[in-house]
Amino acid sequence: MNSLNELQLDALTEVFSIGAGRAALSLSEIVGDEVRISVPSVQVISSNDISSTTLSLNSGRFGAVSQNFSGPFNAEALLLFTEEQALKIVSDMMDSQMSLEELAEFEHEAMCELGNIILNACLSAMADMLNFTLDSSLPNYTVASADDILTRLKKNTNQPYIMILHIDLAIENQRTAGNLVFLLSSASLNNLVTHIDQFLDPIS
Amino acid sequence: MPVDSSTKTLLIVDDSKVSRMLIRTHILTQRPEWIISEAACGEDAIALVANDLPDYCTMDINMPGISGTEAAEQILANHPSIKIVIFSANIQETHQERARSLGTILVAKPVTEKSIALALDYFDNAQ
Repeated sequence: MNSLNELQLDALTEVFSIGAGRAALSLSEIVGDEVRISVPSVQVISSNDISSTTLSLNSGRFGAVSQNFSGPFNAEALLLFTEEQALKIVSDMMDSQMSLEELAEFEHEAMCELGNIILNACLSAMADMLNFTLDSSLPNYTVASADDILTRLKKNTNQPYIMILHIDLAIENQRTAGNLVFLLSSASLNNLVTHIDQFLDPIS
Repeated sequence: MPVDSSTKTLLIVDDSKVSRMLIRTHILTQRPEWIISEAACGEDAIALVANDLPDYCTMDINMPGISGTEAAEQILANHPSIKIVIFSANIQETHQERARSLGTILVAKPVTEKSIALALDYFDNAQ
């Protein structure tokens, strides 16, 4: 499987931008303010080539929401923010003057909800545009070090391809950046590319 | 080429080539006689419109450089006759209000037959 061409990546970026728009609408209803989410780029790489810079995984701890998808292709998705950014997002979502300890109590639930909103918005955009439906498992939230996350991504030999979406999120004008990562088997990546080509065919 | 009165000109502004291709294909299915041009950012759109004013324009919001709403505002200030539809995945109330205040409408992406029908209805009927 070669890498995706420019037009295929453009199609994926457009699909995920629409997903991001839908997620922003849902989140704005939760926080009661404008939320901006954009997906400036999408990359598909082999997990052997992944490094801490690809995912902006510097030192520190990261909040990771994971969810499994199944359908015409199967994928594990991970939404990654630094733990500090994750707490900031939770604080915006809870809209209160809570202390850090109090916030930490809600971190798990609020991050699962954020992951659920962003991931399902992306899925619904895929379903509408690329014409397939995926089912998702319940989201799971863990806090891990950058090394733990990299090891986990590299060791997953069943899913040797990684699709990375860089995400910019701004709630009440506070900007945070994260990554949404899909782990794909080569059969799943091939199926995804087939659907993208079917989508592009009538407009090319 | 002689241009009859049903031939309209449309400028599609979107940084995504795929999105421009989608809009072009759907519009030409409904209005095969239309002449379509494209721009990939707001700055290019402003320059193109200054050169050759189209009847209609579709405008994305999130693009590199100035936003689509800013570009639409500038274009409408200089060329009030043009009809602009803002196509965006960001359909939060603030954006809808901003579109209305400019005298345009905001149509939700993705680009489909249905969203194109909304845009064409606005182009046909807005005075």
